[in-house]
Amino acid sequence: MTALASRVRRDRRDRLGGPARGRQAAAVVIAVCYLLFTQLIATGSLYSQSLVLTAACFAILAISLDMVAGMTGLYSLGHAGLFACGAYATTLLNSHLGLGVFTVAPIAVAGTGLVGLVLGSLSLRVSGLYFAITTFIFTLVVGVLASDLSITGGLQGIEGPLFPAFPAGLSGLGSSVTWCVMLALLVTIFLAVAIRGSALYPVLLAIRDAEPFAAAAGVRTAAVKIGMFGLSAALAGLAGWCFSFLGIVSPGQFSWNVSVNILVMVILGGINTTVGPIIGAAFVSMFPAYVNFSALWQELLFGALFVLVIVFFPEGLTGLVVRLARWLRPRLRLAGATTASAVPAAAPPEAAAAPAADGIALRAPAGGRKQPAVECHNLTFGYTRGAVAVDNVSLVVRGGTIHGLIGPNGSGKSTLVSLIAGQRQPAAGSIRINGTDATSSGPWTRPRHGLARTFQTAVLVKELTARANVAIGLYSQVPRIALRAPVWPLLPAARRQGRDMAARAGNALAQVGMGSWAGTRVAEVPHGVEQLTQLAAAAVSGSGVLVLDEPLAGLSPGEVEHVAGILRDFRAAGGTVIIIEHQVQFVFGICDEVTVLSAGSVVASGPAAEVRQDARVREVYLGQ
Amino acid sequence: MQILLSGLATGAIYGLVAMGFAVAFYVTSVINFAQGQLLMAAIMVAAAVSQAGLPTGLGIVAGLAAAAVLGGLVYLLAVRPVLSFSRFSFAWLVSTLGVATILEAGAALIWGPTSRGFPVMLNDQPVRILGAVVSWQQILAIIVGAAVLAAFELYRRRTLFGKLGMAIAADPEMASAIGANTRNVAIAAFALAGLLAGIGGILVGPITYANPYLGETYGINGFVALMIGGVQRPAGAMAGGLVLGVLSQLANTEINSQASDWFPFLIVVVVLLVTPTGLLDAARWLRWPSRRAAAPSPAARPS
Repeated sequence: MTALASRVRRDRRDRLGGPARGRQAAAVVIAVCYLLFTQLIATGSLYSQSLVLTAACFAILAISLDMVAGMTGLYSLGHAGLFACGAYATTLLNSHLGLGVFTVAPIAVAGTGLVGLVLGSLSLRVSGLYFAITTFIFTLVVGVLASDLSITGGLQGIEGPLFPAFPAGLSGLGSSVTWCVMLALLVTIFLAVAIRGSALYPVLLAIRDAEPFAAAAGVRTAAVKIGMFGLSAALAGLAGWCFSFLGIVSPGQFSWNVSVNILVMVILGGINTTVGPIIGAAFVSMFPAYVNFSALWQELLFGALFVLVIVFFPEGLTGLVVRLARWLRPRLRLAGATTASAVPAAAPPEAAAAPAADGIALRAPAGGRKQPAVECHNLTFGYTRGAVAVDNVSLVVRGGTIHGLIGPNGSGKSTLVSLIAGQRQPAAGSIRINGTDATSSGPWTRPRHGLARTFQTAVLVKELTARANVAIGLYSQVPRIALRAPVWPLLPAARRQGRDMAARAGNALAQVGMGSWAGTRVAEVPHGVEQLTQLAAAAVSGSGVLVLDEPLAGLSPGEVEHVAGILRDFRAAGGTVIIIEHQVQFVFGICDEVTVLSAGSVVASGPAAEVRQDARVREVYLGQ
Repeated sequence: MQILLSGLATGAIYGLVAMGFAVAFYVTSVINFAQGQLLMAAIMVAAAVSQAGLPTGLGIVAGLAAAAVLGGLVYLLAVRPVLSFSRFSFAWLVSTLGVATILEAGAALIWGPTSRGFPVMLNDQPVRILGAVVSWQQILAIIVGAAVLAAFELYRRRTLFGKLGMAIAADPEMASAIGANTRNVAIAAFALAGLLAGIGGILVGPITYANPYLGETYGINGFVALMIGGVQRPAGAMAGGLVLGVLSQLANTEINSQASDWFPFLIVVVVLLVTPTGLLDAARWLRWPSRRAAAPSPAARPS
């Protein structure tokens, strides 16, 4: 049950580094309890059946919405419309074409999923508000179609298909619809748990909180978002399929309010948890049954509930429980012996300054040393019409060197780096990385070219551990993570790869001297550790070229020395570094070559010592 | 001509609601989904006051005041508290939709869910203009719509308060750094948005009568108008409303009387398909060159 429990458990496992053998046993116990509960309901009164089954349909919807809203940060208001697609498809295919309910099931689910994919690809090219609005309009359109078309029975709706009863031999199981709906919910819960346990989960959170970071790790973020929305839509279609057996299907059941209701269920129960949406769905859908007011008062209360929940309990019920648990844990611990989980918090920041044991394992640069690792020819780029941020810049970074990129604020350093890393495409010019043309390919192709980057501002996922964040950097190394995620726990190979990724991420952290922070959530680590975690995430995949955007910002002198040591080791192992930095002493101390930018153009480029003597550089940058 | 004039009259109402959306969005980047319900509130209050035997003028003032006050309250109670949650960037979406539900159910509880009369303001003699027959009420809607738009643009460009709004829209942190009280400006923007919706309500009340469920129709149509006209410019929103009004009228006469149910969505879908990044973005791109002159250039930020 248990996202909450499993999350706590996962955290603990992260901290202790030990296996959680009890997980499978717990899953079996929970599944058995669930089936017993189903049996109880299926043989119980019709009233309790209708309550529980409606709640179960909404639980499927809430979980499916949480997959996009909670995990991926896409606030869909289209779920009522998708729900309607599933319900109407089932009812109409059954009554007009005479298809059996089990024949209809895959059609309704896949069809709704397809609708989701189309809707997603139309609206997710730009995410955020635009996505919410487009999906909102989708729900409105479905509502209008359902009321105005004659085939849907207009506002009165149509009666859903009859679900076949169990054969005589199984009649002891009671109501067949109950089993069907509850099993559908179980499948949905399994999918959510599987994705949460998979290597895709940190990636999804990264897409939600730090999309450039995910893209730089080799994730085709747009495709993953569309895919997740398609999966979520298919589950909403499944909910519609289930719902059509519960009685009349009419437009009023799928109005935009329902979309908002589902979102409220998710938030009330606890967004981005597995139990939260289920609790929220049960509460919101059963609420009218227990609170016996007139319809108008009920609506009023619902509206008030939306506002109150979002204002006072943005973390939902599970959030409250987690907070309570966090508050209780230290107090309980005082009573018992100290546990390992206290260690990271107590680790002194000075540990950060411990020299790295050895360099990070590298793929050999394709061209060998001294061959160009990154070549830019006549790059030009402007953010807006007329203004040029990077103006005809040519730059060659030789393999096995550290190349500094300096210049005043606004001189185009970050823009140049974002061109090299593929975040933006140049208006003119070309980029080659390790000998391959990479001018117009997106950021997710860079790991393939052997290039990884860090960002100026911290971009990690705060609620994940440092280790989980670094593991995101391995995304491009493990095949088909996204496709396998929904069945992850069933694949031994995937589970092994997941453990492997965690181990490699832990090693990478240890190599930048941050091993003791591996199990701590990034939200709780000092700034310097966050910067070094970013460095580890970039280096973990063994990319031969690292592009670092102000990696020293906010670091203590000790930590700066430490980073310098890491970079020297990396160079000694044959790695190439492009570094943007303002600390001139550091740059000229460590870099083999330096390029100076001013107002988007190259002022000087060449060996560090020469550049330092260049009269124009002294004038524009060093202020001499 | 008939279609054009009737369309413009309806469109002016949609445009007023859409302008309200845009004004609130302009300052706070929040779409107040209770906007349509503010229009309804103005109608209901005006109807209730005049049915109590008080003069119609007082009813209108009370209706407008109610819409403006409610608008400000929406910001204070439902929007401001949730803006600080960085994790739910769209929390306001849920809370303003919640307010919409509260207002609708509340109005239905107080005044009953059925339609009530609305005071007649102008005699309903039809007028012939260029071969078209329109009512004075419709002409009034068009004139008021144009006047409100002109007044709003003047106010925005010429007064300090209007410029403050623009500054906050461009960069809230910077604006508060130079001493702007972003909270008060935001309240004012929401109240103004309510007022705009209220004006729309008073104009449309004699035609629709007072019904608690009016809000949804006008809210959604206003929202569609906003999507057509672009979310960042109140003037564009008004234009979107007029376009929508005329096109819906055309669809109603040329296709069938139910067409106005689905026609707005067809327009939106077409608009979304034509500009695949959405009008939100299209509008921003169009605005950029002009805004860059005033605001610090985005190119200067990444260093």
